[in-house]
Amino acid sequence: MSRHLSLIFKNSLRNKRRSVLTILSIAVSLCLLGVLMALYHSFFHSEAPEEQALRLIVRNRVSLANPLPLSYKQRIAGVNGVKDVMVFQWFGGTYKDARDPANFFARFAVDPEKLSTNFPEYKMSEDQWKAFLSEQTACIVGRKTAARHNMRPGMRVVLAGDIFPVKLQLTVRGIYDADRDNENMFFHFKYLNESLSQGQMDHVGTFSVRLERVEDAGMVAKAIDDMFRNAPLQTKTETEKAFELSFIAFLGNVKAFLLLICGAVTFTILLVAGNTMAMSVRERVREVGILKTLGYTPGAVMGLLMGESVAMSILGGGIGLGLAYGLCAVLRESPSMFTDMSRITVPPPVALIAMGVAAAIGILSCVVPAYNASRRPIVEALRFTD
Amino acid sequence: MSEWVIETRNLTKEFRRAQFKIPALKNADLHVQKGEFVALMGPSGSGKSTLLHLIAAMDRPTGGEVFVMGQDVGKLSEGAVARWRNAHIGFVFQSFNLIPVLTALENVELPLKLTKLGKSKRIEHAKKALDVVGLSDRLHHAPRQLSGGQEQRVAIARAIVTDPDVILADEPTGNLDSGSAQDVLTLLGRLNKEFGKTIVMVTHDPHAARTASRIRYLDKGELLPEGQVPEDWALTIPAKE
Repeated sequence: MSRHLSLIFKNSLRNKRRSVLTILSIAVSLCLLGVLMALYHSFFHSEAPEEQALRLIVRNRVSLANPLPLSYKQRIAGVNGVKDVMVFQWFGGTYKDARDPANFFARFAVDPEKLSTNFPEYKMSEDQWKAFLSEQTACIVGRKTAARHNMRPGMRVVLAGDIFPVKLQLTVRGIYDADRDNENMFFHFKYLNESLSQGQMDHVGTFSVRLERVEDAGMVAKAIDDMFRNAPLQTKTETEKAFELSFIAFLGNVKAFLLLICGAVTFTILLVAGNTMAMSVRERVREVGILKTLGYTPGAVMGLLMGESVAMSILGGGIGLGLAYGLCAVLRESPSMFTDMSRITVPPPVALIAMGVAAAIGILSCVVPAYNASRRPIVEALRFTD
Repeated sequence: MSEWVIETRNLTKEFRRAQFKIPALKNADLHVQKGEFVALMGPSGSGKSTLLHLIAAMDRPTGGEVFVMGQDVGKLSEGAVARWRNAHIGFVFQSFNLIPVLTALENVELPLKLTKLGKSKRIEHAKKALDVVGLSDRLHHAPRQLSGGQEQRVAIARAIVTDPDVILADEPTGNLDSGSAQDVLTLLGRLNKEFGKTIVMVTHDPHAARTASRIRYLDKGELLPEGQVPEDWALTIPAKE
C-alpha cells in the first residue's frame, strides 16, 4: 500500500473544495468529540492527585444542605487512620455584583491552622501564612482569582452572605499558588461562627479529613459512617474526588449525557463522510475499471479507495484533536463552576481513541461504496457514466 | 503447451437484458501465433470488443474457452486473473483512459507498482517505455497537458511497460485525427516488428487494419472464416498491398 500513497494523496485532492469541506467537517466533529471525551475522562477516569487522594469529605447523609454538629470533629479525629480533621464550610455569598458570573468563586470557612497541612499543595510564603493565622478577619485567595479581581494583600473584601445572613469584612493577607484549584478564598471559620445566630452556630456543612495512608480511605470512610450510624445526624464520607463528582451529578446523568452526545456526533459525521465517499467513489467507477484492467485485484482497488477515505478522516481527526487541545486550554483558564477544570486536557488515551474513531469513520464511510465499486465487472465499470 | 499465443474454442458470450438473452459472440474460434499482428474488423455490434475483452479476461465467457500462452484464463480466480493480466496483457483503449491526477510517468509506472520492482527500477522502466513511444520530453505532463495522440502514446507506453506477451488494442485510433492515428499505427507496427509483440487490434478503420499482418472479420457475433468479409463491407475494404 505504501507504493500507492502518492496516488491516494493525489486522489484525495482531486476535488479540493469537497475534500477540504469533508476534512473540516470531520475536524470540527472530532474536536467536539475530543473535548467531550476529555471532560468525561477528567470527571470519571482521571486519578486524583496524591494530596487529594489523602483527603475525605464528611457531610450529612441526607444532603449537603443539612449541616453536622461541630462536635463531630473531635470524634472523627479519633478514628484510626485519620491524621487530621478540618472544618470545611461552604460560605457561598456574593462578592460585588452577583449578576456578573466573573464574580463567582468558591469561598470556604476553614480552620486556618490546619489548611496548610490538609492542603499542602497550596503554596504561600511563610509571612503570608503567619499573617493569615494571626488575624481572625484575614483571608487568602488563589492566584487565579486574585489576578481576575486584582486582589492584593491588604485589600478589603466584603462578602454578603446568602446561606448565612451575615456580612463578612475580610482582609486579604495572602495569595496562594497551586497546580489546580487555585481559585478559592479561605477565611477563619471562627469569624463566621461567631457572626452567626444561635441556631446556625456550631454547625458545619463538611469536614475535610486527612488520612495517614491513601490505602485506608475505604476503611476510614466506613469507620466514620459506622460511628454515626445510630446518631440523629448520620454522615456520608467519601473521597474528595467523589465529592467533586457529586456536584456534577446535580446537572443530571452527565455520564450518559456525554456518551450520548459523543455517539450522536460520531454517527452524524459518519453519515456526512459516507455521503461524500459514496459520491467520490461513484465518480471514479470508470477508473476502477482501468485499474483492474492494469492488473489491480478487487482487494487492491478497495484498499486504494479506503486508504483515501481513511487518510482524509485521519487528517481531519488530527486537525480536530489540535483544536480540542486548544479548546481545553481555554477551558483551563475559565472560572471553575461545578468542578476544577484547571487540569483538563486531551490525555494520550483519549487522543488515541479519537484517532481510532477517525480511522473507523474513514473505514465505515467507504466500505460499502468501495466494495461495490471494486466488485463491479471491468467491462461494466469501463462503460459506467455518472 | 499450445503452439498458439491466443486460442479461443467455441467462445460464446451472451448478455442478459431483463428477460432477454442477447448473443454478442457465437462459437468463435480464433488462433493467433506469436509475433502476429491481427486486426479484428466488423460493423458496430459485431462482437469485436467482446472478443477482445474475453481474450484479456476482462469478462467471463458464457461458453467455450480462452487460452492465452497456454493458460485457460477462464479457470483463474478473480485475484489470479488480475495478476495474470498484469504480467501478460497490455491493453490500449480507444479513449486512452489515463488517470487524470497522475503525470505521464506516473501513469506508465502504475502497472509496475503491482510488481516487486523497487522505485528506481520502476521509474527506469517507465522512462524507457515513454522513450519507445517518443515522449521522453513529456514525463511530468498531466494528461490534460497532452494532445490526444500523445495521450494514446502514453497509454501504449503503459501497456508495454510490463513487457507483456500480448498487446490488445480496442480501436486505438478511434478518437484521433488522421496524423495522430498514423503515428499510433506506426508505433504499434514497430512494437510488432522490432519488439516481436503479438498484437490483436480491433478497428473500424480499413486503413488502420492494413497495418496488421492478418485481418479477421466479425459479423453479428460470428467470427467469419479466414479471408471472408461481410457482404456489405466488401466494397469498402481496400486491397492489402
